[in-house]
Amino acid sequence: MQRRLLMAVQYLVYALIVVLMLFPLFWMVASSFKTPQELQALPPVWLPSSIDFSAYARAFSTVPFARSFLNSFVIAGGSTLGILITSIMAGYVFAKLHFRGRNQLFALVLSTMFLPPIVMLVPLYKIVQSLGLVDTLAGVMLPNIANAFGIFLMRQFIAGIPDELLESARLDGASEWTNLWRIVFPLLGPAIAALVVFAFTFHWNSFLWPLTVLQSPDQQTVVLALNRLVSYTSAIKFQNVVMAGAVISVLPNVLLFVFLQRYFIAGIAHTGSKG
Amino acid sequence: MTRRRTTPWPLILLSPGVGLLVLFVLLPILLTAWISLHTWSMYTPLSQMDYVGLANYRGLLNDRTFIRGLWNTLAYSGLSITLILPLAFFVGQLLYRGLIRGKSTLRAVVFLPYMIPTIAVAIIWGYLYAPLYGPLNQVLGWFGIAPRAWLGSVDQAMISLVIFNVWQTLGYYTVLMVAGLTQIPAVYFEAAVIDGANGWQQTWRITLPLLRRTLLFVVVIAMINSVQVFDPVYVLTQGGPASATTVLSYQVYKNAFEFGLAGKASSMAFVLFLVLVVAVAAVMRLLRDPTGES
Repeated sequence: MQRRLLMAVQYLVYALIVVLMLFPLFWMVASSFKTPQELQALPPVWLPSSIDFSAYARAFSTVPFARSFLNSFVIAGGSTLGILITSIMAGYVFAKLHFRGRNQLFALVLSTMFLPPIVMLVPLYKIVQSLGLVDTLAGVMLPNIANAFGIFLMRQFIAGIPDELLESARLDGASEWTNLWRIVFPLLGPAIAALVVFAFTFHWNSFLWPLTVLQSPDQQTVVLALNRLVSYTSAIKFQNVVMAGAVISVLPNVLLFVFLQRYFIAGIAHTGSKG
Repeated sequence: MTRRRTTPWPLILLSPGVGLLVLFVLLPILLTAWISLHTWSMYTPLSQMDYVGLANYRGLLNDRTFIRGLWNTLAYSGLSITLILPLAFFVGQLLYRGLIRGKSTLRAVVFLPYMIPTIAVAIIWGYLYAPLYGPLNQVLGWFGIAPRAWLGSVDQAMISLVIFNVWQTLGYYTVLMVAGLTQIPAVYFEAAVIDGANGWQQTWRITLPLLRRTLLFVVVIAMINSVQVFDPVYVLTQGGPASATTVLSYQVYKNAFEFGLAGKASSMAFVLFLVLVVAVAAVMRLLRDPTGES
């Protein structure tokens, strides 16, 4: 009897959490379909009377969303690829190769994981400027390419691969380069998936650094375009346009999440349990 | 592994990753410290800096906006952590030990907002908070609660930002909690049940003490994440109303890229860094395992 009561309470809490978590997203989608009249109705109207996509067209014509989608894909994709390569190579060294000062160097790498980018923003901008990369996608990507979290994740994962596998290949005369790409790399599937979804969404979502580096309209990322959209059309009757923009900016990540959810969870759980 | 031949491989494989970290993280942070000892306009070359010693830091002591920003940053972080820690533990317990079905759906739903750009989250909540046309005051009205100004109020703006920070990041911390909970051996609970311990006692005597490392990790990560809050302030409040939500990172950005005061901005950034280091060190000390095991 007590167990039943407990279960009922838990389902109630479950429902409450689901409503609280999903309501803002519902409001975003619903508002993107509302007409200006519905947006200005009092008390507020919760559901649009019809599914009207004109706000989406308006969002695309107000800011260059199509172009910014491409830019975001280049930045998030390029950064992710760079992070994968540097992290796998460095992670392999920290997990499997021995040299003097390795642990100290690894600690130094880890310490950079927790530095807020805002602390480095001014010199970072100056460095990118001196390389002539202000207002370029490359300028946004370049400092992203090495990532302590990626190195950490790969090191943890590679450490779990048995040494014997590598030793026998070494006896056959394989170099570390061959070992890494022929033996270790094919075993890294889950770790690569986790790092890809993490790095991609992180750099898709990032705002401060692209805001600092990029200026001209055709270099904007999706998130910057959304920010522009808000500053153009913040009046309540344009809420549908802004919310349409929000839906557009959210879509790739939500799709990625729906299909690759377990890799996210596994990646976080990994850092938590060993961190 | 006894062979210790000197091979070039560690150097070759490490240099891209570690080299870039040195160039784009370690060098910049040293430069921030160095620039903070100068007056320098962002728009002139680095060679035109004037050394002024600690003058920028002395200036900050008399800068009321900065003091307000420091206080707001601490308040935002403190409030966020105070809400996140119990909520993430609670939802984590529900996910790990709850009697309900559909746990993976619940986990996905709670985690979903973490995937969304913070700018989009801020925009959505900005409309939820709208005093007249937003649904939040309407719902409060159903329960007879008077409408609030939320982001437009000096008293409520900060907590309004904290609320949607908790909404957005709760799923992430919950997953960390569940990861920690799964590491507690089930035999402890079985033994406790045999000894007649109720759920409450199990939580306080077994779960929380054994979850110490996870709790510490969650607090540290939440601190690092919330102390650098920028996006919602930039897009929603611009530090207002009446500096109620001005935070350090927003001031760093504004001073550097709108006023061109790179020296002052760098001294603020370095204070932010020091605050974070001190706070993390304090939490580590406070929550450290008394037995000395990490």
